[in-house]
Amino acid sequence: MRANDAINGLILILLAAVMIAMTSTFPAFPGQPYGPSLFPRVLGTLLIICGAVLVWRGLAARRAGERWVEMAPWTREPWRVGSFFLMLALLLAYILLGDTIGFIPMAIVMLLALFVWFGVRPLTAVITAVIATFVIHWFFSSLLRVPLPRGLLDSIL
Amino acid sequence: MDAFITAVGLVLDPHVLWVIVASACFGMFVGAMPGLTATMATALLVPVTFFMDPVPALGAIVTATAMAIFAGDIPAAMLRIPGTPASAAYTDESYAMSKKGELDLNLGVNLVFSVLGGLVGVAILIVSAPLLAEIAINFSSFEYFWLALLGLTCAIFMTTGDAVKGITSLVFGLLVNCIGIDPTAGHPRFTFGSVELLQGISFIPAMIGMFALSELLRGAVSVDEKNAVIAQKVGNIFKGVWAVFKKYWFNFLRGSTLGVFIGALPGAGADIAAWISFAVSKKFSKTPEKFGTGHIEGIVDSTSANNSALGGAWIPALVFGIPGDSITAIVIGVLYMKGMNPGPTVFLENPQFIYAVFIIFVLANILMLPIGWAAIKSSKQILRVPRNVLLPIILIFCLVGAYAMTNSFYGIVIMLVFGIIGWLMEENGFPIAPAILGLVLGELLEQSFMTSMIKADGSALMFFERPIAGVLGVVTIVLWGTMIWRAFKGRNATLAPT
Repeated sequence: MRANDAINGLILILLAAVMIAMTSTFPAFPGQPYGPSLFPRVLGTLLIICGAVLVWRGLAARRAGERWVEMAPWTREPWRVGSFFLMLALLLAYILLGDTIGFIPMAIVMLLALFVWFGVRPLTAVITAVIATFVIHWFFSSLLRVPLPRGLLDSIL
Repeated sequence: MDAFITAVGLVLDPHVLWVIVASACFGMFVGAMPGLTATMATALLVPVTFFMDPVPALGAIVTATAMAIFAGDIPAAMLRIPGTPASAAYTDESYAMSKKGELDLNLGVNLVFSVLGGLVGVAILIVSAPLLAEIAINFSSFEYFWLALLGLTCAIFMTTGDAVKGITSLVFGLLVNCIGIDPTAGHPRFTFGSVELLQGISFIPAMIGMFALSELLRGAVSVDEKNAVIAQKVGNIFKGVWAVFKKYWFNFLRGSTLGVFIGALPGAGADIAAWISFAVSKKFSKTPEKFGTGHIEGIVDSTSANNSALGGAWIPALVFGIPGDSITAIVIGVLYMKGMNPGPTVFLENPQFIYAVFIIFVLANILMLPIGWAAIKSSKQILRVPRNVLLPIILIFCLVGAYAMTNSFYGIVIMLVFGIIGWLMEENGFPIAPAILGLVLGELLEQSFMTSMIKADGSALMFFERPIAGVLGVVTIVLWGTMIWRAFKGRNATLAPT
């Protein structure tokens, strides 16, 4: 997804403006004109300048015939779009459900879903998903002592 | 000398040696897989090294990156796809050699000159770092302010892309760094009441997002692409390498020296070192017309340069805490986590760690010869690992790694957010390296600036009064002037290769 630079610039200007506005609540020190708000303000101003240059260039490119948003060729193939969003959706699912369900079942489901979507043969998919999950779990949880969420395991074991 | 003996003892520990060999294999694999980069190898290694002592942790990173930069040459020669961006400069040349039937010679030259280039890089690192540290010990906040600013300026100047987008990316990184408690007054900024944001954006999960997750997202949409491995059999790769060395020893020296220098410049790493030394090689060659037809000369220059750049990047990282490339940016994060704040004082307080890094660098480069040979021999198997199995497993690895850095889901959220930001940036032509540098150097820049302002009581002249600070300040301003002048003249403001 390639957006026209005018759009990128506008987003950056908005972001910088919000950040600068937020600095007004930062405390100032009497007799000293530079406090916690100085740096974000300087950077915010720089970002606005960069944004303005981008908007200017983007508008010029637009006049030369560039589209507002240029989609990459793969976005016209539903399967590829699905691959992209499946990755993000699975991560989001892990963030939301990982704690209650636990690492092992979540990781197996995530791997299986991706393998099947990517066209790995079912038997290979199941075996690889289970082995990979347990190896990663053993490595991080037993060897490195990372407290991976146990989730459902707590009620079983 | 005592410190050196301690360092030898630290490195020769069987546990450390085991870690080095394991990370060497890991680095070879990641480097040889197209789409997985040396920086990604580092980002994935950090969560693991987090639980180790400093010496094995640094050893793992040094070894894995050295291997990955070499291993990137293998798919370049066999598939015409660079394994890491550092091999991109001479991928076409390598592939042309393979098509002429000189695959063996190409791989042999790549391996041997990577090893030699790496050793030159380490040699210069060993000589120059302690000398620079002695100068740096007298630095005050003024010098550090200018150094940080100079580093950031270099990062812009050395980008191969669009200058405005480079600056934007840098400012964005600096702004992200403002999140959390501010360094002078201790006031929370942009935290929205979140306790986790008080400590700032967690650096390593952000790196895993920007360098690994964004790469996976790109890989996911082309997961069914098949690699067409060249059908040639790999024979004796070392045959003919000595003849190449005798003929092109000067190219090797020039390439590796240039590589160290470019590597030491903040923001420019192995990839840019390879591009520039390839261009230099072509320019000064007696037979420039042979370039592009499978000629070994440019490959000698650039394959030495990208490995020597790795050592070079450690010079500013160890001495000033200013990363020379995106790999050392991560390394600096690791050093802080280990309580070894990079800077000249490490050379005084913990010289054994510095020596240990040097020894590991030498060891890693020597180890590259046998492991590299094995990787070349088994390259067809490595390149046949199906991407549709590999990508999901790496995704789980990223997820666990990001989680391990904070022991909470906060790490995964950061990774996800920065993965999407990194992907969007790349799609829209914003380089990622300046943003990372901004994220790493932001605190140093702000802290040294605020301290200096308070010391100088707001007078700008004080920033130029100390001799070294003055010189650094003038250099920074001249560099900016050059860029603005070039932009004004309608030329490319950066060193973008044409």
